[in-house]
Amino acid sequence: MSKFINRRKFITSTALSAAGAMISDRILAEPSVKEGSMSTADQSPTDFNLMREVAKFRKIDAHVHVSLGGGNLEYQKKYAETLMEYADRMKVDKLILSKPVTKRINGGADTSVESFIQHNNIVHEIVKLHPDRFAGTFTFNPVHHKETMEEIKRCVDFGMVGAKVYFQTKINDPSYYPVVEKFIDLNMIIHSHAEAQIGVGGLRMKYNGLKPAGVSIPDDFVDIAKRYPEAMFQYAHIGGGGDWEYMCKTLQNSPNVFVDTSGSNNEEHLIDFAVQHLGEDRLFFGSDNSYYQAVGKILASNLTDKQKRKLFFENFNNILRKGGNNVN
Amino acid sequence: MLIDINAYVGHWPFQQLKYNTCEALHERMNKFGVDVSIISNLNGIFYKNTQSANLELYDEIRSHKRFGDRFVPFAVINPIYAAWREDLETSIKKLGMKGVRMYPKYHDYEITDPQSIELVKRVRDHGLPVAFTFRMVDSRQRSWMDIDYVTGTPKREWTMKNIIPIIEAVPDAKFMILNFASGAALTEEEMNTLKKADVLIDTSGRTISNMSSYIKQYGKEKFAFGTHSPILDYLSGMLRIESLRPDEADETTKELIRSGNVKKMLSSVL
Repeated sequence: MSKFINRRKFITSTALSAAGAMISDRILAEPSVKEGSMSTADQSPTDFNLMREVAKFRKIDAHVHVSLGGGNLEYQKKYAETLMEYADRMKVDKLILSKPVTKRINGGADTSVESFIQHNNIVHEIVKLHPDRFAGTFTFNPVHHKETMEEIKRCVDFGMVGAKVYFQTKINDPSYYPVVEKFIDLNMIIHSHAEAQIGVGGLRMKYNGLKPAGVSIPDDFVDIAKRYPEAMFQYAHIGGGGDWEYMCKTLQNSPNVFVDTSGSNNEEHLIDFAVQHLGEDRLFFGSDNSYYQAVGKILASNLTDKQKRKLFFENFNNILRKGGNNVN
Repeated sequence: MLIDINAYVGHWPFQQLKYNTCEALHERMNKFGVDVSIISNLNGIFYKNTQSANLELYDEIRSHKRFGDRFVPFAVINPIYAAWREDLETSIKKLGMKGVRMYPKYHDYEITDPQSIELVKRVRDHGLPVAFTFRMVDSRQRSWMDIDYVTGTPKREWTMKNIIPIIEAVPDAKFMILNFASGAALTEEEMNTLKKADVLIDTSGRTISNMSSYIKQYGKEKFAFGTHSPILDYLSGMLRIESLRPDEADETTKELIRSGNVKKMLSSVL
């Protein structure tokens, strides 16, 4: 990929010549600090092979969706092809699919029973296309207690492996209590959308981020995790755009809150910071359909290969194993 | 060969950055096989007098011989601050800067304000590129002290539509469009403006969710490798290129994006 001699040639002909040649030459020739001894920083670029690194690690994507927008099954089947293309490109063994209800009605959340049942039906149909590569999770709104408990049974009978909920109801709302108890019995994890943005979910609301009131924030996870220490929660996407330092610092003493690293935001120090604050066993690789950033941010981190294996595959597989759904 | 057209040194006032010195970036480049980085000083976004930041960058590059080999400096210029014309001339003629990065949102002017257009024209007349950035950080994690262009609110982050007017105003300038992080939708006329112009879009931005389709849409000559380092991770911009399958991009196309397109843009200033 890299040819140092070509770089030399390029830099000679562009960066340090041209209109500013005199000064540029001085940059080259007259360092204001004397050169020290040779270190790794003095070396030329390595022949780093990124795709070999991508292929090195098995992966389970713990946060990925079927299309969030479409209710049409044919459209969803076409979208599933793009998911498979991504999985093959990035060497992802298993995709944990969901379709939470993200639609908003007049600025608020769609809280209806009909919507969550319809969404779960779509996930069920899509998983059937590639059962060796896809696993399904289901959504619900716990304020509809009877319908939620029925839906949990229906979806578990389908073979789904966990839950994915959105911003209808905060994760620590009392309506969740019987649901959490059911998930403890099932040995399954509850994955919830979450945000840490000023003006959202109770954080510095004078800024008004214009989000539904039911958005869960890190503090809500701390609350429910403390109430149910035997339950397992998955805090969604620390790369989802929010303040990931706030997230990690808030969640650091909640050992039953796991965190997925998905999201479109791929800030440089995010992964290392998360491992420093949460440990290497509580983090899951996920994309939230931002495929390049999902893989890139972990490979760019300072984690060891052993730690990367945990993030990419082992940590979430250990969760699946508790419910008898692990990947071999 | 890899040339990163979107990197920085310096500080972000609301969050500690890693790898934000020439020394650390140089090491990062070696580790991941990057040959040359085009860099500016982040401090220039926050200093009222951006020339202080340009001088800091100049001094840092001069601090070690090896840096002159690997870094191509771009000045940060604010065209509504005192003596910016002199700062531009000094940056190009005395400090060896090879382009200019502009930050209308942070420096509080409209992209098509007369001074903005004048700056772009002056840089054009030197045969150098100007760079505009969609956003520096994800607005959803912004500090309460940061600018208030926020996703999901009426005052949104920039989209490609916000950058097109300056290209229309100075169509013969050279442009770099960095961290393509928000909306790509353009009218046919706007897309034609973009395609006809001498524009490079770096590969660091999240909007490029499928590199292959963006190459088809914009053309292989419109993209160049970029990291947006040290704010974004060092590898996602590279992964957009390297994960292209042979049926999506041959080695010639990949090499154009890795370095060929930017070499062409910068070689024309010789």
